[in-house]
Amino acid sequence: MRSTVTAPPAPVGGLQIEDIVVRFGGHTAVNRMTLAAPQGRITGLIGPNGAGKTTTFNVCSGLQRPAGGRVSLFGDDVTGRSAQHRARAGLGRTFQRMELFDSLRVEENVALGREARLGGAQPWRHLVSSRTESRAVSRAAAGAMQLCGIEHLAGRRPSELSTGQRRLVELARCIAGDYRVMLLDEPSSGLDKGETRSFARILQTLVEQRGVGILLVEHDMALVMSVCSYIYVLDFGQPIFEGTPVEVSTSPVVRAAYLGSEAVEDSISAGPNDA
Amino acid sequence: MLPFIVVGLVTGSIYGLAGVGLVLTFRTTGILNFAHGAVGAASAYLFYALWITHGVPWPIAGLVAVLLFGTIAGVLIESATRHLSAAPVSTVIVATIGLLLATQGLLYVVFGDSFKRFPQFLPTEHVTISDVQVTYAQMITVATTVVITGALTWFLRRSRLGVSMRAVVHSAELLDVVGTNPVPIRVAAWCVGCTMAALSGVLIAPTISLDASLLSLLVVTALGAVAIGRFDNLWLTYLGGLAVGVGASLCTKYLGAHPPFNGLAGSVPFLVLIVVLLAVKGPRLPVPLGRIGGTGGGGSALPLPVRALTGSVSVGALFVVPFVVGPRLPIYTNALAFAILFMSLALLLNTSGQISLAHSSFAAIGASTFSHLTVGHGVPWFLALLGAGLVVVPVGALLSLPAIRLSGLYLALATFGFGILMQQVVYATSLMFGDEPFLTAPRPHAAGLDGSSDRTFYFVVLAIAAASALLLTALGRARLGRLLRALGDSPVGLITNGLSVNVSRVIVFCVSAFFAGIAGALFIAQTGTASRDVGFGPQQSLSWLAVLAICGSGVVGSSALAATLLVILPAYLTSISQNYQLIIYGAGAIAVALLFRSGIDHGRTFGGLAAKSEERRRRHPLRLTPAAPVGSPR
Repeated sequence: MRSTVTAPPAPVGGLQIEDIVVRFGGHTAVNRMTLAAPQGRITGLIGPNGAGKTTTFNVCSGLQRPAGGRVSLFGDDVTGRSAQHRARAGLGRTFQRMELFDSLRVEENVALGREARLGGAQPWRHLVSSRTESRAVSRAAAGAMQLCGIEHLAGRRPSELSTGQRRLVELARCIAGDYRVMLLDEPSSGLDKGETRSFARILQTLVEQRGVGILLVEHDMALVMSVCSYIYVLDFGQPIFEGTPVEVSTSPVVRAAYLGSEAVEDSISAGPNDA
Repeated sequence: MLPFIVVGLVTGSIYGLAGVGLVLTFRTTGILNFAHGAVGAASAYLFYALWITHGVPWPIAGLVAVLLFGTIAGVLIESATRHLSAAPVSTVIVATIGLLLATQGLLYVVFGDSFKRFPQFLPTEHVTISDVQVTYAQMITVATTVVITGALTWFLRRSRLGVSMRAVVHSAELLDVVGTNPVPIRVAAWCVGCTMAALSGVLIAPTISLDASLLSLLVVTALGAVAIGRFDNLWLTYLGGLAVGVGASLCTKYLGAHPPFNGLAGSVPFLVLIVVLLAVKGPRLPVPLGRIGGTGGGGSALPLPVRALTGSVSVGALFVVPFVVGPRLPIYTNALAFAILFMSLALLLNTSGQISLAHSSFAAIGASTFSHLTVGHGVPWFLALLGAGLVVVPVGALLSLPAIRLSGLYLALATFGFGILMQQVVYATSLMFGDEPFLTAPRPHAAGLDGSSDRTFYFVVLAIAAASALLLTALGRARLGRLLRALGDSPVGLITNGLSVNVSRVIVFCVSAFFAGIAGALFIAQTGTASRDVGFGPQQSLSWLAVLAICGSGVVGSSALAATLLVILPAYLTSISQNYQLIIYGAGAIAVALLFRSGIDHGRTFGGLAAKSEERRRRHPLRLTPAAPVGSPR
């Protein structure tokens, strides 16, 4: 028997938002944004400062309630669900201004990516953990720290670390959470060239080995062009273009949006086009 | 009814003036001064000393006590609080609470704590307006407060300094960059605020009497007015003061003779405060000064062997105590009960960075329930003890509601209001202390256990305290401890990793309330009696918080230290009166906050902390985002 219901041609799994509108007072920060971040690929979200990228992220992760539109996660409508519900459903994120736990050690920070989820909403599970759970948590934390190359920082506190190291700690926390889709907000800002390269490698490993879907907000055009397989472009809250890196770098619309910002233009034209 | 409205308007106008001063400094510096009323009290004492004791004409005494004293107090407080932005919000709160306690103690020490009537200095002739006698003093009071509030509003809107004052709280650095030094602006704000406090203290004193505690309470009445002004608007604050004054006056008229509601008149400001705090959305309230996060309860910096050694030595000493201290043993038993109370407070303050100023109410509920269960219903001793703890749990859950919506300063205010409301309305009901002058409670008698001997009872309490310490340590090491410490740093970081943080908040308040209830039951069992007038007031909550803040940021160790400081030391240093103790606790709490100036992070004081604190200051120069900026654009 075949179902006659026609599903939208969505990529399997992952995060989708449709026609999202966000208003702050009279200002429309995001207007009818639609995007898909399926599993198994790195999706980029770019745009000039103030374009509404972080607002879109907040809508995706449930920190911002949209005035209109729909957010779905792995096929379920989660528009009205809380941030913690979405996290438990498998959506993780990092923050442009990192949200780390400064009074805890790095390994505890990373472990909390998994442990917070295990605590969930049940009072009893906030109090204690079973032995199996504890083992799973420390395994996940150790694996994530190894992947990010921060095992040597395990005993330090985040406040003692450099920005680049702190970004890695937050990424490791997200990885330890075993999320199927991750939203990474400007993960490379404050990183030097070498750190950015190893960052890109970590992202690719996650996608290739674990089938994670990543939605990336980034200012570093070279990084976006090299790791993303699909890119959305926002400007003043309006989605103005979407396509592959090649299409984005050759689009006159995108060029117009970035006009005046030569550095960005250069890095756009220095995309895979020229490579 | 009209005469009551007139009286209400007059006192209300003074509350309004005090509130206006409080809002002004809060909006400019981000510090809500719990010592605002204490500044007014000090001014009233000074005025009294000059005018009555030394015969200075009252206008001159007034100038000195209000303008000169207010200015000096403002300059001093500003210089002390200038670098507090690197300290946690809770430390900033504790610092001004310390100032309140120290000022009270100082006033009692200098001027004595005997009752003194404060005569009205303004002309008391009256005119009759539609059957109501209105004195010139009343008219002058209202007129003065209206004129001052109007002048301040104009000043803030129109003058350059005023506009800078409104700007400095938003970004001191930005103001610095555009060429206006923020320091003189803060000094001006503190001076104006303290002068307002001084004036309201002098004006209210004739209707109260010269009593440092009562006069200091002006700040809590002003808080009701401030809440109506949403911690922001001067005229709304002033009108709020009038509303609170009239409301309280009418409550006195209509409910004054109907217990338990006869206490309601004094509680009107707190009812208003709690309602406003629960009704207004947290992000819409001004953001107080201070770093967001716990007081750094990441564990002691002392190496494990040292901790193990001090731990085992103290435990050993606790076993020896009953055989060496002689008749002072009940003091040690009491200290053990206090250690349990401090642990319950430390779980909130040091582990999760939340402030509760309602712990005296928790203990009072525990004590009264314990008495009702044992004496009233013949419940076995240990079962009743458990019951006394469990009864407080739903109260703790109730109090966690503001903790879900509010954080830091506003949570402290809500719990403070709750504590006063409990004391003034609920303590007098038969649920708690009722009409009895005091309640009684027995000591345990079980098979082979005779608790009436002080020594046996000491060991019983020691066992309970040890069990509590073990349990709380285990909880702190388990998942809950990690979640709570993380919660103090970044609620958003937890939410986006799947934790329902509100569940954690309810749990920690319930656990804390449970142990506070147990401590309360042990207090009454230890002394045998307890009355509602002694030991369970909001003043106690303030002192307990200050003492705990002095003792570091651990749970068990800090609590043991705090109990020693609060209970055992005073029993030996009998030459130090209670007033001196207040000064010491207050000054200690201020000192702890000031240590942040020099880059010392108490709790992890030992070792290279200066660099870390500097780094923190660099990262959060003046962090002004709300505690949980859920949904706010970044």
